[in-house]
Amino acid sequence: MTVGEFAKQNPLNVLCMPEAEREITGCYIGDLLSWVMGNAREGDAWVTIMSNTNIVAVATLTNVSCIILAENVTLDEQALNTAKENGVNVLSSNLSAFNIALLLKDTVV
Amino acid sequence: MKELSLNILDITENSLKAGSTLTHILLTETKNTLTIVIKDNGCGMSSEMCKNVINPFFTTRTTRKVGFGIPFFKLVAEQTGGSFKIESKSQKEFPKNHGTCVTAVFNKNHIDYTPLGDIVSTVITLIQGHPESDFYFKHTVGEGEVLLNTQELRQVLGDDINLNEFEILNWIKDFLKEQYENL
Repeated sequence: MTVGEFAKQNPLNVLCMPEAEREITGCYIGDLLSWVMGNAREGDAWVTIMSNTNIVAVATLTNVSCIILAENVTLDEQALNTAKENGVNVLSSNLSAFNIALLLKDTVV
Repeated sequence: MKELSLNILDITENSLKAGSTLTHILLTETKNTLTIVIKDNGCGMSSEMCKNVINPFFTTRTTRKVGFGIPFFKLVAEQTGGSFKIESKSQKEFPKNHGTCVTAVFNKNHIDYTPLGDIVSTVITLIQGHPESDFYFKHTVGEGEVLLNTQELRQVLGDDINLNEFEILNWIKDFLKEQYENL
């Protein structure tokens, strides 16, 4: 399923979606950025509660399909602009990381 | 990174890449805070570049377009309610006293504080990787301190000694560990 389809079919807010056609091929949950860098896989939907420009950089480096901010976390405008410029999709939700992962279970397992 | 000492290693490698011949690594602990200062005499940066290094999309690396050393260090300090500062004087503008100084203050009691970890290994790794460069390492905890000055070591051992010889590195490691035990 693409990020665009996933966002449409689920209770998620689209903060920016420069590459709606990216395919979600897995899910990774983590907040320690250096750890995420080493373990998230290309195509994963990365669920996190961290919010600053660094997450956009980590997403670029790992080439995840999107960032999903859990538990009502928001991202400031400057970081969002950086995400747009670098083709990083950012979604958000009031759900917990666990419940966001459940939304993905039929898509990627 | 799960240890601040790895951040220190990362930041100090920047200093060495900038051609630093003497790098100060100063850790000062009070009851509630840890202040880390890394000060080098390398080529420094222009004020514009200095502003940019906190942005992970700015890097001197050519193999990828993001750089995390400084942004991560800033993040781990700020997430404890601490602070971060980087100042630099470029060799071009200040031919006599150039270099870069990074200062990070951590609140040790904050739940998101990352432990310092194995700082002795970090110091040894730096000397091993850069035996031609000098390091002044000082860790002050209240009244006590741990000190290593490789310039002094060279004076005692003679200039022709290579600091990354196994026996010397081992001696430095024990020297530091002994001081930590007495801290």
